[in-house]
Amino acid sequence: MTDLDKSLLEALAERSQEQPVTAFNGVVRFDVKDGDRVDQWYLTITKGIVTVGREGGEPDCVVTGDSATFDAVLSGKANAMAALLRGALAAQGKFILMTALQRLFPGSPGADGLPTAGYAERQS
Amino acid sequence: MSAEVKILDGNTFVVSDDSGDIEASLTDPTGLFSFDTRFLSRWVLTIDGQRLNPLSVDDLQYFETRFFLVPGTGTVYIDAKLSVIRQRAVGGGFHEELTILNHDDKPVDLEVRIEAACDFADLFEVKDDLKKKGEYYTRVDDGRLVLGYRRETYVRETWVSATEACAVDEGGLTFVVHVEPHEQWSTDLHVAIGRDVKGATGGTLKYERHAKKARPNMELSLEKWLDDAPSLDCDWDPLKRTYQRSLVDLAALRFSPLSLPGHYLPAAGLPWFMTMFGRDSIFTSLQALPFASELARTTLVALGVWQGSRHDDFRDEDPGRILHEMRFGEMTAFEERPHSPYYGSVDATPLYVVLLDEYERWTGDTKLVRALERQARAALAWIDDYADLQGNGYVAYQRRNEKTGLENQCWKDSWDSISYRDGRLPGFPRATCELQGYAYDAKVRGARLARLVWKDPAYAERLEKEAADLKRRFNRDFWVADGEYYAIALESDGSKVDALASNNGHLLWSGIVDKSKAKAVARHLMSPAMYSGWGVRTLAEGQGRYNPIGYHVGTIWPYDNSFIAWGLRRYGFKEEAARIAAGILDAAEFFEGRLPEAFGGYERELTKYPVQYPTSCSPQAWSTGAPLLFLRTMLGLEPIGDHLVVDPALPQGIGRLELLDIPGRWGRRDAFGRGRMDVGSRPRRSAQLGVIKPEKKRLNGKAAQ
Repeated sequence: MTDLDKSLLEALAERSQEQPVTAFNGVVRFDVKDGDRVDQWYLTITKGIVTVGREGGEPDCVVTGDSATFDAVLSGKANAMAALLRGALAAQGKFILMTALQRLFPGSPGADGLPTAGYAERQS
Repeated sequence: MSAEVKILDGNTFVVSDDSGDIEASLTDPTGLFSFDTRFLSRWVLTIDGQRLNPLSVDDLQYFETRFFLVPGTGTVYIDAKLSVIRQRAVGGGFHEELTILNHDDKPVDLEVRIEAACDFADLFEVKDDLKKKGEYYTRVDDGRLVLGYRRETYVRETWVSATEACAVDEGGLTFVVHVEPHEQWSTDLHVAIGRDVKGATGGTLKYERHAKKARPNMELSLEKWLDDAPSLDCDWDPLKRTYQRSLVDLAALRFSPLSLPGHYLPAAGLPWFMTMFGRDSIFTSLQALPFASELARTTLVALGVWQGSRHDDFRDEDPGRILHEMRFGEMTAFEERPHSPYYGSVDATPLYVVLLDEYERWTGDTKLVRALERQARAALAWIDDYADLQGNGYVAYQRRNEKTGLENQCWKDSWDSISYRDGRLPGFPRATCELQGYAYDAKVRGARLARLVWKDPAYAERLEKEAADLKRRFNRDFWVADGEYYAIALESDGSKVDALASNNGHLLWSGIVDKSKAKAVARHLMSPAMYSGWGVRTLAEGQGRYNPIGYHVGTIWPYDNSFIAWGLRRYGFKEEAARIAAGILDAAEFFEGRLPEAFGGYERELTKYPVQYPTSCSPQAWSTGAPLLFLRTMLGLEPIGDHLVVDPALPQGIGRLELLDIPGRWGRRDAFGRGRMDVGSRPRRSAQLGVIKPEKKRLNGKAAQ
């Protein structure tokens, strides 16, 4: 496993400038597990605009998972809600903030630039 | 397996036989279900190795049932010296109070056993008979039986325990029981969802039994729900029963989305569709607006947070699109099904804007309209940017997920619902007519909100211009001149798919119908080919695919009729609207006030009673909402500015009708009406609306539950 690619989080913050998460305020913390290590990222949402940092206020929602899962979800290779249902990610606190945030995750790119298949097909 | 008994709380429900036992196979839809997953597939009670026979079942509430049982097998019932009561309530799993009564003069020693097992099937697997990919485990843990299933990180557990001493093994619980003469023995059984979509929930049930009786949270919330709703009184008793039934059923259909704990929206149907659906939740919220606007509010917020934001062919998702259906089971979790959520609905998006506007008209809640401005604008943009699949400016659908996506993305979603007069089926993409009506209405209403709340007159003007243009083109391109009605759909090459269908009524509701054409449309809807005496058929008699018991090609849908009546009223056809209301409300009486999803399109004269279409879900949300919308339509309730206008047009048989404490931006208001409309039906049963002399019995206040 490798560290979470920071540029994926920065891309997310950038997308929030174009397509803000409607009127939401709050702090979501990503606890990215890599073996015994836990890497923390704070996503601060202010009127829908996301900023990313290593530090932040008291989180309203904490999302936990391994770096591979975060990487897949943030790059559009896996669906966030499905990952939550699967237990690959776990959310504690205000779930609505995670719901709002997932709108900024990219779609899964297919051959023509559009996503085509789900997790199961991509695994096989 | 004998009769199915269903009880529920949100999306947690139990389906068992009438002795309270569960013996499910993979394809058999019985068990304890929660979040689209089966958490118990075997639950069998024996006494000294013998199964029990049901004497009776009491449905106490929708979340609570009591089973009266006696030992012994076979049909002859021999020994009544023992009786057994299982009282079961659902809430975060279920709670069962098991009581054994000894009626004999001698003491008895018994071995009481509960067998428990679970296959953790996904609802989709139950429907499609699919095999599991993970591993099962069972363990006895601190006096409690743990049933589990694991596939990678996906873990689901059920915890079974009892309050009385028992031996726990991996197959169940065994009690050694001694009961003195004329005494009783009792234990509480807890079946808790140990681990689910929210992780380790600890298996707490939503009630505690310290005192004599378990009291689920749902019971308290039902009382408040009924208190908050307007109260109805009228001379025609069946309407009181139907109204009460609708309110209780609507309470049962409430579903709290994960993202909005403590808030409720209407799920689509019980028990298999206890989840958020774009179309069903919106239509039901519209029907219930004058009675419980909180449903609309939660629907708007929840659908808004989940609004599509990217291109995803697997989920048929586009930016701005409103979801079709959300599911929580294993197949969705592993992306073997696209319901996380799935977006393959083409009407939910324009209807979202329609609901937002109608909600504001009733409640005056401009704060929410402001909060959802971005969602509303994105929904309106979706209509133009992503729904024009034929390239002609009309809303159309064609799925991109060809494996597990939906082929028909309008409300008539069966394979043969959209056809030509001669029965031919059109190709894809399909632009069905009602979609154009919804899009028109969304633009008109969006313009109102833009002016009033978003303070963007330029945007409002643009939307109005687009709406006017759509209306003009629609009345030219969809009008079947030789029949004087609107074609059910348009093909890509511009061909009119010329079947005569109930969709015409939705067009009246949307306002897209030219005034000059409304009379002809209304005449068709009330013609013998369409109106059976009970209601308007989905497809007119005489069309190629007409079948009085065809799902969308001849049956009568109460929900469909409630919007048709609203449409007729909108264009001034008061008497016609009253007739439709009268027919469906008469039909409701045959189902004890609980309207089915659909019933047969047979002529009323022919069958004398409405023939129910066999469906697995009852109650269905938008059938439950239909009587509420009929009440609105018959009373002519319309919010104008800060006032509620009442303009009743009631069937004669209803006599006097009063609806008290209607909530809205005006606070609470009462509406009164008197039946003056001759709806033309002759008396058949004493209590039907056609009766000249209605029952004069009066009850005070709310009808008894």
